Amino acid sequence: MKSSLLINIATLSYLAAMVLYISYVAFRKKGLGLAASGVTYFGFGVQTIALFLRWRESYQMDIGRVPLSNLYESLIFYTWSTVLIYIVVEYKYKARVFGAFVMPVAFLALAFINVAGISADITPLVPALKSNWLFYHVLVSFLGYAAFGVAFAVSMVYLLMDAKEKAPTAHMLYGMGAMVVLALIGNYMASAGQKTVFWLGLGALVLAWFIYLIVAGAKNKSQVFLFWSLCVTMAIALLAGMGIDFLYLVAFEHLAEGESLKKHLFEATFLNPSLFVVLLSWAAVLALFWLIWSKAMRLQEILKPYSPAQDQLDDVTYRMIAIGWPLLTGGIITGAVWANSAWGTYWGWDPKETWSLITWFIYAIYLHSRYVRGWKGTQMIVISAVGFLAVIFTYLGVNLVLSGLHSYGGMN
Amino acid sequence: MLIYQTVELFFAREGALEKNKGVVDVVAEKVWKFFSSVKLAVVLLIILAIVSIIGTVIQQNEAPEKYLQEYSQATVQLFEVLGLFDMYHTWWFVLFLVLLTTNLTVCTLERFPHTLKIIMAPLKPVDDEGLKALPFKREIAFKGGADKAEVRAVNALSARRYRVVEARGAGGAQFMTQKGVYSRLGVYITHSSIILIFVGALIGSFFGFKAFLNLPEGRATDVVYLRNEPMWDRMMAALGIAESPVIPDPQGGVPAMPLGFYVYCDNFDVDYYVNPAGMPTGMPSEYHSTLSVYDKNKQKIFDKRIRVNDPLTYRGVTFYQASYGAMPEVRGKVVLNIRPKNEPLSAGETVAIDPGGAVYVASIDRTIKALGFAPYGVRDETGKVVLYQSENNEFINPAVQLEIYKGKKPVYKTEILKIDQGQPYLPEDYVIKYAGFWGARYTGLQVTKDPGVWVVYTGFILLCIGPLIAFFGSHKKFWVRVQDRKGHTVITLAGSANRNRIGFEREFNTIADEIAK
Ligand code: HEM
Repeated sequence: MKSSLLINIATLSYLAAMVLYISYVAFRKKGLGLAASGVTYFGFGVQTIALFLRWRESYQMDIGRVPLSNLYESLIFYTWSTVLIYIVVEYKYKARVFGAFVMPVAFLALAFINVAGISADITPLVPALKSNWLFYHVLVSFLGYAAFGVAFAVSMVYLLMDAKEKAPTAHMLYGMGAMVVLALIGNYMASAGQKTVFWLGLGALVLAWFIYLIVAGAKNKSQVFLFWSLCVTMAIALLAGMGIDFLYLVAFEHLAEGESLKKHLFEATFLNPSLFVVLLSWAAVLALFWLIWSKAMRLQEILKPYSPAQDQLDDVTYRMIAIGWPLLTGGIITGAVWANSAWGTYWGWDPKETWSLITWFIYAIYLHSRYVRGWKGTQMIVISAVGFLAVIFTYLGVNLVLSGLHSYGGMN
Repeated sequence: MLIYQTVELFFAREGALEKNKGVVDVVAEKVWKFFSSVKLAVVLLIILAIVSIIGTVIQQNEAPEKYLQEYSQATVQLFEVLGLFDMYHTWWFVLFLVLLTTNLTVCTLERFPHTLKIIMAPLKPVDDEGLKALPFKREIAFKGGADKAEVRAVNALSARRYRVVEARGAGGAQFMTQKGVYSRLGVYITHSSIILIFVGALIGSFFGFKAFLNLPEGRATDVVYLRNEPMWDRMMAALGIAESPVIPDPQGGVPAMPLGFYVYCDNFDVDYYVNPAGMPTGMPSEYHSTLSVYDKNKQKIFDKRIRVNDPLTYRGVTFYQASYGAMPEVRGKVVLNIRPKNEPLSAGETVAIDPGGAVYVASIDRTIKALGFAPYGVRDETGKVVLYQSENNEFINPAVQLEIYKGKKPVYKTEILKIDQGQPYLPEDYVIKYAGFWGARYTGLQVTKDPGVWVVYTGFILLCIGPLIAFFGSHKKFWVRVQDRKGHTVITLAGSANRNRIGFEREFNTIADEIAK
């Protein structure tokens, strides 16, 4: 049996699990919850087999390498790790409510990559990538990212349940206005050849806001609410954007054999050559933002009977980070050892490396923030969410936004 | 116990200092306080996280022209002044790292004695006050007498591998036990690993260097060309203490670093992935060089075939396979292996022929003339060799054209390919194999010396272990008091844990239930 067929089955299982988890939360039927878990276990089992099959296939093709060396394989592995960690959390905390948040991620990520993305090619490795250290590096990093992803999902639940009321409409409109203005400025500056300066400025703005949230988040709940809405919007928009790319490029355009989908990421939406499509995509993001912002309190009400107490959510977040952070540490270290064995430098400050270090710093801040007087609850959760934004940026942004030298960027 | 006493002494002395403080002491104490705060740690981590971003957005160490293409003149000047084009090595960035390390060191020195005290201190019985302060406790009315109660309680704890200590006082019997004291060291292991990594990196930049070397096949050298000079040599030279071993380039080019031994490149080659038909695809699967090391007296010491990810190290200097290139002005030699049919390759004779030249091969009594060399040839179905252009003249599947002479008389012509789908035309009883085209390429080596790397690696190992101990270990304590209250036996179970309280609560409840059962 081909691994790609199994991946398809796993994808469909995750879709079913997603629907079941959401219906479980909406209709409060225990049977639905049990079914959701069952389907998740099934999908997970199938995906596990698929991973091993793919490994074997690469040996049969005489390339013989671990299925972890290009974007598709690593995304598949990422989904697998996420579901694994989710299953453990569900089992330990006897709480199914997170499933409604985690399984959509698992499903959309798999849907985006599966079929053609991976059945296309098992490509051989360039010499620098032939190292066991690389395997451990990717394996450990992705497990860490998955734990952070679950922490992020839990943090989002925490922030939602933490809200007393939604932010005033004026704030939401400012938020939207800011996005539009930034997009316009960015567009203008990019055409004026000032892209880097724009990104530096944008970065500074965003960071200033994050710091404000972390320092004053406990007092200014409406800003935290906006932050929550933006995070959720972004997560959904990214996943949906990838899903549309997948449909557009793979299903209709038929990507050339072996061509990397990564090169075309967001080409169907935000990076489309047609200005109309770009504007439409952004309009959709704004609409989504508005929808999330305005329906949040309703969602809170629906989740209330299921959601564990806030301090338990806090605890899950801490534990996920206590799992993710050592894994990320291991990932950075194995990466450094690999670099040292390949070219004699364990640290070169290349953008990808540096971003993983930044992520590492952010979670270190999270771990120490418990010992800073007056920082707890909301602030720590905001740090954990910012940490995951850094994970996403390390994973996608460095290649899409910054020109990376790392394997994924350099190879394709 | 000795350590424990020393720690007590340490605290006692601290108390004595308290009384007569001068200005210096006050300032020193302020500075110490400043550097021992976790708040400073968080601030420094935030600053580091933020400024690190800059260097990922602005490309580092590019050529000046490239920057001028991207930014205006004024911006370039500003960035230049701030050091943003080589940000991670600016004094201010390094200063933040130094501050963090100082913070960490001071914090450790401040807290470690206290932790040591906790670790070394024997468990003490608790009184009523102490009992109140403990986060978990339960009173259990026990039917069956104090003796049985004691046995029951001790068994419940021993079954979970707690070593129970007994103390008898006026109030009745008390049993105490603890587990995982050493997990308190996890944080210190983590923190010292960071200090080690930092120190290792410093050692590397003071005493190590990074260099490169483009070494042609068949050539030797005893110098490499520096990218980074060891900071120590520079400092010593600047202070006039010792002369730097570095040899400057008279033309102002890259300075050279003497090795104190010779490296010789025996051979360089590229392997390619093959397609299902067994032909090379042009996608490199491996670069490798065979290097030999000779001492100062040109005595060979050893050789090694290095590949990417598998370097050669001699006397602290490591040679990594990094790149390669062609030397169009140099004519290489065609290398062939000739052997009688049905003999193994090792039985063959290896000869090297200049293109256009000829060599007499005694074992087959023939003279072989090399007519031409091409880097990429493929034999088609008709048996004809077709030559292709390869990018950068890469030796994807080299082909050589030979003419064989018996004495002065030409016998036949043939073409030999490195990988051949068909058979070369060889009417006589021997086999000719392509063995290389030698001397026209150089191997590009990255050369580093980093005496700090083992310190860094030790830090890495500790950094892998430390957090696991810190996060998943837990210092757990239990106290059991058995009292007789008006003829009823009452067991009081109390406990505490420094982390994972939810897990501890579960354990506590199971033990309490087991005793009460
Ligand atoms: C890159 C630097 C650092 C790393 C990787 C690091 C790592 C850690 C880790 C993993 C923990 C355990 C956290 C937990 O149990 O949740 C911890 C705890 C702690 N760290 Fe750091 N740390 C760093 C820098 C610092 C600095 C500069 C200070 C200076 C004040 C500091 C002070 C502390 C303290 C006070 C604790 C709590 C110890 C306890 O539980 O008793 N850390 N650190």
